[in-house]
Amino acid sequence: MAISVKLDRVLLDRGMSLTELSERVGVTIANLSILKTGKAKAIRFSTLEAICKELECQPGDILFFDE
Amino acid sequence: MRAIGKNSISSILAYVLHAARIIIWIGCVGLAIAVVMIPFAGGLLAWLQTFDNININGGIDVDGGDYLEIANHFITFLVLLFVVNRLLEILKTLRFGAPFEKENADRFRSVGYALLIGEAAKFAFGFLSIFIDAEIAVNVELTSIAAILSVFVLSEVFLEGARMKEEQDLTV
Repeated sequence: MAISVKLDRVLLDRGMSLTELSERVGVTIANLSILKTGKAKAIRFSTLEAICKELECQPGDILFFDE
Repeated sequence: MRAIGKNSISSILAYVLHAARIIIWIGCVGLAIAVVMIPFAGGLLAWLQTFDNININGGIDVDGGDYLEIANHFITFLVLLFVVNRLLEILKTLRFGAPFEKENADRFRSVGYALLIGEAAKFAFGFLSIFIDAEIAVNVELTSIAAILSVFVLSEVFLEGARMKEEQDLTV
């Protein structure tokens, strides 16, 4: 897929685990894992907003477009 | 009326299809017995005529046409059995609450092909009956063609449904 997710890198920078993010954002670990591994087909604005709010980052820090 | 569960439409359909499967199997067994017994029919009749208290007039004339008619019925039963089995599998996925999967699209497509083969076989046997003396009626039924087309359309709908479900499942 042309869009890749770098959630693991942002989590590493913030020193936060996927479980902790799951509890803070209110999204299941299974769904966050789908996002982290790049299997997700789509992401809701509400989910992206909650993740960016908790990780104090921009959507562009998580999502990248690969040529 | 509920779609799934006890006394639902799908459960009633499942009962009907199970009953149909039993009837088709009985038909297949009957045809198999007929195939085995036809060569002995003349001898059996002659043996029965030797008894004083059994009065049978006439004889049995078995020819290639009879075998052609049996083969025609046999193909029809096989197609029906295949269709019934695929429909039961589809109903099973409905009972488990996951009907929109790619396998069901494939099942509907295979049902369509089976019906198409059944129709083609009917025409082939009808054509053969011109050369071999058999009574096989061949007529183009628009309802059959409509049914086959409907099944293929349903297959495409299920394929798209499966794709949409996958997308929905992988939306975070």
